[in-house]
This record gives sequence, structure tokens and C-alpha cells, in this order.
Amino acid sequence: MDIFTISIWIGTIIFLIFSLVKNKEKTKMALKMAFGMGKNMILSILSIILLIGLILAFLPPEQIAVFVEKQNVLVATIASAIFGTITLIPAFIAFPLVGTLVDAGVGIVPSVAFLTTLTMVGIVTFPLEKKEFGTKFTVVRNGLSFVFAIAIALVMGVII
Amino acid sequence: MTKIVKIVKENLFTEAIILAYAVIFILKPETGMAAVSNSGYYLKEMLMIMPVIFVLTALLDVWVPKETIMKYLGKQSKSKGVILSFLLGGISAGPIYAAFPFCIMLHKKGASIKNIVIILSSWAVIKFPMLLNEVKFLGVKFMAVRWILTVIAIVIFSWIASKIVKDEDLLREPTFEPEGVIINRNACMGCSLCVKNYPELFEISSKKATVIKYDFPIDEIKLKKAIDNCPVKAIQFNKR
Repeated sequence: MDIFTISIWIGTIIFLIFSLVKNKEKTKMALKMAFGMGKNMILSILSIILLIGLILAFLPPEQIAVFVEKQNVLVATIASAIFGTITLIPAFIAFPLVGTLVDAGVGIVPSVAFLTTLTMVGIVTFPLEKKEFGTKFTVVRNGLSFVFAIAIALVMGVII
Repeated sequence: MTKIVKIVKENLFTEAIILAYAVIFILKPETGMAAVSNSGYYLKEMLMIMPVIFVLTALLDVWVPKETIMKYLGKQSKSKGVILSFLLGGISAGPIYAAFPFCIMLHKKGASIKNIVIILSSWAVIKFPMLLNEVKFLGVKFMAVRWILTVIAIVIFSWIASKIVKDEDLLREPTFEPEGVIINRNACMGCSLCVKNYPELFEISSKKATVIKYDFPIDEIKLKKAIDNCPVKAIQFNKR
């Protein structure tokens, strides 16, 4: 394990002990909740991981990097933003995946656009959002999030 | 038999992936091995970080006093409301679809459109435990710059959204509310806390909580505990 993972573990364990001392009941509840959420997601997470492994076997990250590099930055960024909009990957798989792609040479700008739209804009969740908030709110929120995701990505390209 | 059909139907995605692997191993074993080794890397990374992220998220969820925060999300709240909205979205557990019904409830309690957009957006992109994960794979600088830019972007576009969308746009026809205990299945993320709190009344089926048909008088203390503990406030009780 790298130093970073270890520090998250230590921090969480300290929090957990502190929580246990202060309120046993609440802590038990939190652990049950964590376990319940994990149990519920594990199968779909495993499937997504296997799918990513499969795609990367056919399309190695280096090839993706070469392909993305040939495109115009704006086109590549908008395309990856759209890709992020239609896919639904949990963030803790998305980070190592984007890490692999960036290491292989895929530009920061398209990667950030993908990361941001992945969680903030959703085609799959659109009907659910519409049902709760109505069409106007949903279109405005998703539209603005999409545009700003690209803006964030472009500004990041300048800074980093 | 029907149970098997149900399980098969619910896991079509997983089954398709397994099938794809089987086909590839028969046709191109080397590619299949490469796919397995790729997956192995992500699996290892995920197993090291996922349990701790879930525990951290759940701990934050139970310890941060959400009820207190909710009082400060109205239109007059200004910058305090903005900061608290970021905090509320950042600490909450669950995927973004779990946030929709939760935010509708906040809106009914007086939260402004601007703050709701902030909560939804930060719920999606700036989960605090996830930021730690981002540092691990992409570095401190990457995370910090992305975080700052995202916060700025959210502040700007939540303001724009509040100029376009009015409170009336969110008000819907009062829907018919049946009496008794109801679960909003769109909000439920299957954490099963309600089952633990009141096993006679709730069960998990198809990964979501459901109310078991009951003919006994409801223990309101137990039910209230289940309602209060639900992290996405998906349980409702309409007294007759």
C-alpha cells in the first residue's frame, strides 16, 4: 500500500474509534450503512471493472493516447465530456482509470472533462431527475453543468 | 424457479460480461489473459480503498448534524447557505440519484433553488472522501486545482440557474399520498438500515427496501427511528 492509502485508513480508524467511544449506537449504524451500501454495489462494480479490463485489452491506453492526441483539443474535450455524460462509472473506479490514461499520455483537458461530466451530468439519471424536479430545472442544471465541465477542463489545461 | 428468473433478469449486465469473457477466452486466449490482468489491477486498487471510503462516508453521514444545516438554506441565507450547501453535498452518502428526492424535501422546507443546485453538484463531484482517492491516483496538485475550479464553477452556475428556474417550476401537482408507510424507491440505495431498525416491517428486495405487508399495529417509536436513520430520507409515514 502506498503512503496515501495508509493515511486514509489510519485517519478513518481514528475517526471510528473516536466515534465508538462517543456513541456506540451511532457507530454501529454507520458501519451497517457502509456494509449495506457496499454489498449492494459490489456486483455492479465488479462487472464494470471486468468490462474496463476487457476494453483496455483491445484498446491499450497508449493507443487511446495516440488517438486522442491526433484530435483537436476542443473536439477531444467535448467528445470525452459526452462520453462522461452517457457512462455511469462509480468515482472510485474512474480515478484509477483516468490515472492510467493520463500516465499513458492522454491530455489533462479531456480527462478532466470526462471526470466532471461523469458524476455531474447524467443521461441515465435524467428521467429520475425530471420526475422529481420537472423538465426545466433538469435541463438547466444538466446543461449548465456540461458547459462548465468543459470550461473547468480548459482552464485546468492552462494552469497545469 | 421464478426466483431464479428474477436473479437472472436483475444481473443481465454481469452475465453479459461473463459471456463476453468466455467467448474471448475461446477465440483469443492471450487477449483474455490481458483483460484479466487489467481487471486485476483495478480490482486490487478498489479493494484497498473502497471499504475505507464507505466507512468514512457513513461516519460523516451520521455525525454531521444535517438537521441543523437544513435551517440555513433559505433565500435569505447568502454566503452561509452557500458554504453549508457545499458541506451538505460533500459529506452525504450515496449516488446522485439518491440526492434528488432529498433535495426536493429540502426545497419544500424552504431551501432556495441556488442552494439546491449547489447541493446536487457537490454531492456529485466533491465528495470529501473521494477527494482523497483522487489525490492517490492523480496527485495533490491535480485534485486541488480541479477542486477550486469546480467550486468556482458551481457558485457561478448555481446563480445562473436560480435566475432561470423559479420556485414555481419545481412545484408539482399535489400527488395522491396513500396512507401508511411508503418508501421512495428512487431514493433508496439499499443500505438496509431500516431493516435493521424494524425487521418486521421492512425487507430488501431487488436491492431496494420495501414495506412488508403488515396487519399489526405499527410501533411508532421503531418506525420513527427507521425514518430518522434513513440516510436519504426515503421513508414516509402518512397517518390515517
